[in-house]
Amino acid sequence: MERPAPAARRIPYPSGVPLIALRDLTKRYNGSVTALDGLTVDIEPGIVGLVGSNGAGKSTLLKILLGLLDATSGEATVMDLDVRTRGTEIRQFVGYMPEHDALPPDATATDLVAHLARMSGLPTTAARERTAEVLRHVGLYEERYRAIGGYSTGMKQRVKLAQALVHDPRLLLLDEPTNGLDPSGRDEMLELVRRTGAEFGIAVVVASHLLGEIERVCDHLVAIEGGRLLRAAPLDTFTERTGLVGIEVEEGAERLAAALVGRGVEARLDGRAVVVDVRDEGFYDLARDALVELELALVRIEPRRRHLEDLFRDEEPGEVPAA
Amino acid sequence: MTADATPRPGGDPPIPSGSIYDLGYRGYDGPRLGRRHAVGALFTHTLLSCYGIGRGGRAKIIPFVLAGIAVLPAVIAVGLVALARQAGQAGEFITDASPIRYETYFEIVGQIVALFCAAQAPELLGRDQRYSVLSLYFSRALERTDYAIAKLGGFVVALLALVLAPQIILVLGLTLSSPDLAEGLGENLPKVPPILAQAVTLSAVFGSLSLAIAAFTPRRAYATAGIIASFIIPPVVAEIAREVTSRDISRWFVLASPPDVIGATNAFFFDIRPDSSVIAAARHPGELYLAVAAIAVAACTGILIRRYQRITA
Repeated sequence: MERPAPAARRIPYPSGVPLIALRDLTKRYNGSVTALDGLTVDIEPGIVGLVGSNGAGKSTLLKILLGLLDATSGEATVMDLDVRTRGTEIRQFVGYMPEHDALPPDATATDLVAHLARMSGLPTTAARERTAEVLRHVGLYEERYRAIGGYSTGMKQRVKLAQALVHDPRLLLLDEPTNGLDPSGRDEMLELVRRTGAEFGIAVVVASHLLGEIERVCDHLVAIEGGRLLRAAPLDTFTERTGLVGIEVEEGAERLAAALVGRGVEARLDGRAVVVDVRDEGFYDLARDALVELELALVRIEPRRRHLEDLFRDEEPGEVPAA
Repeated sequence: MTADATPRPGGDPPIPSGSIYDLGYRGYDGPRLGRRHAVGALFTHTLLSCYGIGRGGRAKIIPFVLAGIAVLPAVIAVGLVALARQAGQAGEFITDASPIRYETYFEIVGQIVALFCAAQAPELLGRDQRYSVLSLYFSRALERTDYAIAKLGGFVVALLALVLAPQIILVLGLTLSSPDLAEGLGENLPKVPPILAQAVTLSAVFGSLSLAIAAFTPRRAYATAGIIASFIIPPVVAEIAREVTSRDISRWFVLASPPDVIGATNAFFFDIRPDSSVIAAARHPGELYLAVAAIAVAACTGILIRRYQRITA
């Protein structure tokens, strides 16, 4: 049964100010490697996907927002608080799920999460109650009294999410939350992220290199590449141009590709499959006819997991204005 | 919120692991006590985990065995004195001849404190580094410096407990076994200030030094080796220096040897002759050792804080 979404909870910053505002944010490591290069973008509450290939600067950006790293130049504010000077205040209301393993194997999930809740400023009793609640919320039951060392990757990811949620943050920063999970684990984690953002009124920024994955839960996307903003826009403006479908045939993929191109369809070869950018529904009839005509044995037609390369295939980085 | 959204703790059905069920989520509107509370909580957590409290049974073995060894001589001494006092006049000789006294006790526990440092300091800092837990700490209400200070504070207080427990047993035991309580108090109470002063000095020097070393490696074995080396090598160097160089040069080596500095402050606080020949030969005033101890604590604390300012999280 669907429960009505609670009214958006108060976020302690003035209205009219973006949740996260970045102005010309630049980060260079050791003066040479540029992780962020003049990034300027506003991020509003909701579920925002931060997409970019590995090394695009996603993790760096999240760490700067938390004050874990200092920016080389430029400005960043979270809830109208400057990350350079007001880090402690920001972090009281922000939950962070790091990309990499960050859990001591000898601690139990309950002990660790309760301890971290206190590190967020919660009184001891409240920390225990919130821990029980949040671990149940992420789906850890009897296991929570066992040492984390014996957990599966999926369970560890849940503990990481639980510790980010335990102090009931206003903003959740998730770095590759589906890392290392199997397909069903990914689905469950994504559903958890979606509900956290949509039903609980917590703003979420979720970083991922898999566009196909986070587009299932986000309402906005911010795409970065090489530390620069490619595009920031509501999700639907992205998906229009990313209807990729893979047609896999037993053999003769080249002939199929040629036939489709001959009919004016944008198609390219990818192993035994032909990848097509579907722009209108009529394509499926066209593909069926082509298959019959060439007498090819069809294995499957499926939507492709889209990578950023596909998304920005014919766009020059930096030329697209931010929405 | 509807009824089905309120989970019942006792009534969780056996749920296969790996499934997420909709049991609702509630916000938290209670107090957020902020940074100071977080630092206090980390301090307490550190203090307790030095003794393995709140951790598994195996984590308690080393600290409690060491604490037991530290306390044992005091218990024996008090027992002996009590028995001797019953023997009357002759017993006084035994009491006076006992090697276990306030001013010698720090010598006795010094080794144990060093072992405690070597065993627990790496665990205290290395674990969070080894498993990248620091990013979970530093993304919360506390600052990097807070983390270092809370860990140092918790560890030093844990050492104080280790050092003071046997002394408390001695003071109480000797006072209460005295035939006359007023006389017992008169004899033993004046010893309390030097006991406290030396306990604080010892704990602060050994604690800050051990953590300053342990902070630089996530590897437990390296940290333990480093700490043991810092307690063992400098006294040996000081001893060798005394043998091979002139006294004008060798006397300065003593100041770089933590156990010797601690031995000298002990002599200073209790106003006794140092029993170490190296310290005696150096002929520095007691105040100098005290100053060196203070500088060492400040330097180690500074190194520790700086390390945590720069560490990647």
